[in-house]
Amino acid sequence: MSAEPFNKLVKLAARAFYDDITTKGDNQPKTARGDNRGMAVVVLDALTSAGVSTQWGGRDCEDFSSSYIAAAELGELVDYYNPRQGLMPASFRVRTVPFEGCNQIFEEFLDPDFGESAIGRVTPIDYGLWWRQWVREEDLAKDLKLHSKQLRRTLRFFEEEKLVTRDHRRETAKGAKIYSAALAATGDGQQTGKDGEEKLKMHTHSYCCLDYAQIYDVVRYRMHRMKKKLKDELDNRNTIQKYICPTCGRSYSALDALRLISPNDEYFHCEKCNGELVAESDKLAAEEMGDGDDNARRRRREKLKDMLQKIEVQLKPLTDQLTRVKDLPVPEFGSLQAWEARASAAVRAMNGDSSNDASKSSQGQGYGGTPMPFLGETRVEVALSGVEVKEEDSKPDPAATSMKVLPPWMIKQGMNLTKEQRGEVKQEMRDNNSGSAGLRDDKKAADEYFKAYYAALIKRQQEQEAANREQQEAAKFSATTSNIPNGVFETTSDRRVGMKAKRDEDDYVEWEEAPPPGNPVHKINDLNAPAEESGDDEDDIDWEDG
Amino acid sequence: MFFHMVLERNMQLHPRHFGPHLRDKLVAKLMKDVEGTCSGRHGFVVAITGVDSIGKGLIRDGTGFVTFPVKYQCVVFRPFKGEILEAVVTMVNKMGFFAEAGPVQIFVSNHLIPDDMEFQSGDMPNYITSDGSVKIQKDSEVRLKIIGTRVDATEIFCIGTIKDDFLGVINEPGAAA
Repeated sequence: MSAEPFNKLVKLAARAFYDDITTKGDNQPKTARGDNRGMAVVVLDALTSAGVSTQWGGRDCEDFSSSYIAAAELGELVDYYNPRQGLMPASFRVRTVPFEGCNQIFEEFLDPDFGESAIGRVTPIDYGLWWRQWVREEDLAKDLKLHSKQLRRTLRFFEEEKLVTRDHRRETAKGAKIYSAALAATGDGQQTGKDGEEKLKMHTHSYCCLDYAQIYDVVRYRMHRMKKKLKDELDNRNTIQKYICPTCGRSYSALDALRLISPNDEYFHCEKCNGELVAESDKLAAEEMGDGDDNARRRRREKLKDMLQKIEVQLKPLTDQLTRVKDLPVPEFGSLQAWEARASAAVRAMNGDSSNDASKSSQGQGYGGTPMPFLGETRVEVALSGVEVKEEDSKPDPAATSMKVLPPWMIKQGMNLTKEQRGEVKQEMRDNNSGSAGLRDDKKAADEYFKAYYAALIKRQQEQEAANREQQEAAKFSATTSNIPNGVFETTSDRRVGMKAKRDEDDYVEWEEAPPPGNPVHKINDLNAPAEESGDDEDDIDWEDG
Repeated sequence: MFFHMVLERNMQLHPRHFGPHLRDKLVAKLMKDVEGTCSGRHGFVVAITGVDSIGKGLIRDGTGFVTFPVKYQCVVFRPFKGEILEAVVTMVNKMGFFAEAGPVQIFVSNHLIPDDMEFQSGDMPNYITSDGSVKIQKDSEVRLKIIGTRVDATEIFCIGTIKDDFLGVINEPGAAA
């Protein structure tokens, strides 16, 4: 589940294709090229190894996992989920593997363990949090001891090659803090110090990130083109023969053949000087032009065959890696904003106190309330759990994100809730309770929980925002949720906490009261139609059970 | 590839044709003018299959010629890259051979002739395999694949290959006759 196979792919591709790439412009003297060779490889390696090193070395990583282990022990007390629904990586194993079969160099990386020993809580984990993905280019330049201009040129080249995605933005020191906060989440704590020194002036910062999905495609396409070109040449397939007049240097193609034939002999003749035309062999065998046509052709064929074989042999590790990677889920980092948002969410989850929360959220809003798509993580979540998201196709995203920011130790905080919210929780609890007697209680509980959560969230927004914003928010939720602004996301965590706390206080008091039947309905368009229905269903089941 | 399509043309008819058979004269002239021509856009006009409509004539000042807009149906032939055609060899030389598929001239360069065929000059230049079983000479029929076309306003020229599966000689010159 790590990016390791992909990193290896990048490394191999770098060595195979970008070994002799220089980033000097063509206008520079050729003699200056030598010293720059191989820099492309170094840069690509740095991008991947930035991932790997923080991946296994990050202290926060351990903290996070150990916190979750602790949480699992509490799980039965604080959570109304069935704790056996383990979806968390229970542990992380450091795996040491010799790099490319070499006994001297070892690579270490973490394997998250989702196996039978997984612990109790339904919590989506985004693997992207474990390693640093978006790198500020200045930092990278510092790490590599390169001039930033030099690095930028290389990166631009890679951008054109579709290996990296870059993002540029003008930002103040404040904006930079968001990045460093995100960075801190991935275990690289050193950056925070530097950012404090930045002035309040706007600076243009560039960030770059490996685009693994695209790299995979690019590498495959490149190899395909290489092979196809050679094969075509080898078979002389689809190649239009070129002819050159040795005397005047004019060149013709086979399409001109009709004009070139002469009645006197069986050769083509130049239109201009009437010289005898010579078939031009391909560039690959240009030096063998001199001798007889047949001979040259044969030798060229040999050469092409040789090259094709060499490709097969020398790129074997790369093709192997490609096949290995083929079925793996590609690590996706999303855009820079999305990544930052996720990372800071993880920080929140780890620290878990509201003061931190508040400061982060204010930062986030100060940053401009940029839309944050939370798309990538949901996919991961679905693949893992397959349980609770399955039945809510239209709205898995907020579910996933909300789940993520729910560490158990946040439950201590109380919030003032509205009637509706209380009702929500109450009903949900009822369902949950009765459901535990039923057969598929866990699933129902999860579903109910989500529904209640949505309703509560929406309610909160209604309170917060003006009435005219309401529709907009609903639309956002019912749509892909890619438009959830930063601020909204912040509120989700709070809301969640508050809801839980409320439940703890209230549920036994209100348990026996018949819940208002249509309670979860909040006049929100898309969300509530399914919620209402399933809620009714579960009510029926309850009565039957009782 | 053949297409059946509707084309339009302005026909100029000399005043001496005016009379009871004006329409027949017009159609005859149309066939004479159009059949066998080549336009880069549509290809070779092989045959006119029908005349849809003949518009009102317009008398040209000074000459007395009358212009009729004529809509007609015709079969056109346009070669495409990748198309497989059967063609008759018209000329063989050291650079390859020329063949004709109907109105289209196709050149197959010696690169695109299978490697086991060697050029033999002489009275009847030909390409022949080492065991002599297959021979390409004038009037041989070959199946070839078009790999390139040059389309001018009034001319289409093609490059073909016989270096592929199921391509090559399909009929010896003597066999058909």
